[in-house]
Amino acid sequence: MASLPEPVTQLIAALSRLPGIGPRSAERIALHLVQTDAAAVKELSRILIAARERIATCSICGALTERQPCFICEDPRRDGSVICVVERPVDVLIIEKPATYRGKYHVLGGRISPLNGIGPEDLRISSLEDRLAKEAIQEIILALPSDVEGDATSFYLAKVLKPKGTKVTRLAHGLPVGSGLEFADELTLSKAIEGRRPLE
Amino acid sequence: MHLAHLRLRDFRNYARLDLDLSPGFHLLIGNNAQGKTNILEAIYLLATLRSFRGAGGAQMTRHGRAGYFVGGNVIGQGEHEVKMYWSSQARRLTLDGRAVRKLADYFGTFRAVVFCTEDLQLIKGAASRRRRFLDLLLAQTHPTYLALLQRYTRALRSRNALLKRRLLDAVALESFTHELLATGSQLIQHRRELMPRFSPLARLAYRRIATDEEELRLEYQPSVQNDFAVELAQSRSRELALRSTVVGPHRDEIRLLLEARSAAQFASEGQKRSIAIALKMAQAEYLTGIHGTAPVLLIDDIMGELDAKRRGGLLPLLGRAHRARSQVFMTVTREDWPAELGRDLTRWEVEAGIVKLAES
Repeated sequence: MASLPEPVTQLIAALSRLPGIGPRSAERIALHLVQTDAAAVKELSRILIAARERIATCSICGALTERQPCFICEDPRRDGSVICVVERPVDVLIIEKPATYRGKYHVLGGRISPLNGIGPEDLRISSLEDRLAKEAIQEIILALPSDVEGDATSFYLAKVLKPKGTKVTRLAHGLPVGSGLEFADELTLSKAIEGRRPLE
Repeated sequence: MHLAHLRLRDFRNYARLDLDLSPGFHLLIGNNAQGKTNILEAIYLLATLRSFRGAGGAQMTRHGRAGYFVGGNVIGQGEHEVKMYWSSQARRLTLDGRAVRKLADYFGTFRAVVFCTEDLQLIKGAASRRRRFLDLLLAQTHPTYLALLQRYTRALRSRNALLKRRLLDAVALESFTHELLATGSQLIQHRRELMPRFSPLARLAYRRIATDEEELRLEYQPSVQNDFAVELAQSRSRELALRSTVVGPHRDEIRLLLEARSAAQFASEGQKRSIAIALKMAQAEYLTGIHGTAPVLLIDDIMGELDAKRRGGLLPLLGRAHRARSQVFMTVTREDWPAELGRDLTRWEVEAGIVKLAES
């Protein structure tokens, strides 16, 4: 059986290392690229390189940015006394979407995961402590996922940060707004019952 | 609850199999190694996503094939279509055409109880066998149990990984301890509440099938005596020496007692066999009591080994499953045995991966 030329197989191997792209998709994309107009492929490679070169993580909060520091860190209208701690840079965009949060951010870059060999020292925790020492921060909101590692990381941060005199809060667990009870799974429902509030 | 259709592709010795199944009694007749138990295994897989023979996906795939497919139409509360595909590269589980993302959401779609020779390990085997039996029963009856168990296991494994590090990070350890205590205490409570409800069912079942007058009792022996947090803290020097968490529900024991004596040590082989069947009968009774519908019963090969008294004790349960429009699947090698079952049977002949309705 004839096999694909080496440059194509190399391209497939490189593409299949990307997240969400399996061997089938990698092959389809590679075969498409080598049969596309050369100018279009050059343009694509130029955009790839430019994107990679222009984007860096913010030296203060760790979010993705084109300039140092990022827009949010530099925005004087933002409330610098509240910091929302998230796991990944993309989580900043998720919390920005509803446009109700007016504080600043700190990206951890992961969560404590002993099973994957990730310890607290691998996360941006010391830079958060530096910020606490330098900036006038009154509240830290933990917005980490509520799986085992996420909750343990929240617990860890609370343990480390509270002695420094900051208020530490975490996002509430509960029902999705605007949908019926039937859409919540049992664990969410029992958390929602635990965290119920009096009506005012 | 019953299985209306079973579809196998490249599963064990079946290249393809499509069976339409009615409620009631199904007898799978054939010589050894023709594929009778494989059908029970596939049905059990639909219910629990596990093989009752402890087999992995590769073992269940037909020789020389990349993966297997098991599908079924389940009629319980409404009709559901389940599809499972396994290969070394991919596994898929869909319920009514939609991917199942959390296993806890899937459990309860279809419930089955299996009776097989491996059940003897519930008495003879390690404590982990009995914990798994308890866990399955709780997962089949309590909607949050499986998610709790998964969280507990994750916290436990994380904690053990931290204990194995050369430098101990005390605060990180405490963070996972917090999660371990929160989920572990709930597991203990579920298990503790189950025992007084389950033990009498096992006692009655044993009385019905055993040839002796002894009383079967189950006793929950939690690893934690009173306070999980305190006892975990007290075990610190031992867990540092062993580099592993030594206190918690993962170390629970369920003791089986005949007249207050350990069945594992003192029961005869015949008594052990009766206890194994009694536990499974009690499981079926308990599921029926909680859900109001009888689970599907899968009976593999044990009938021929039983004497008339034990068979007689099991029959009312089978009869009830029958009347409740549930299903019973039973494998037998000779057709002459189950005369006491009556005429209301569907008989299938199984030969070399081909299943045919038997001519009567």
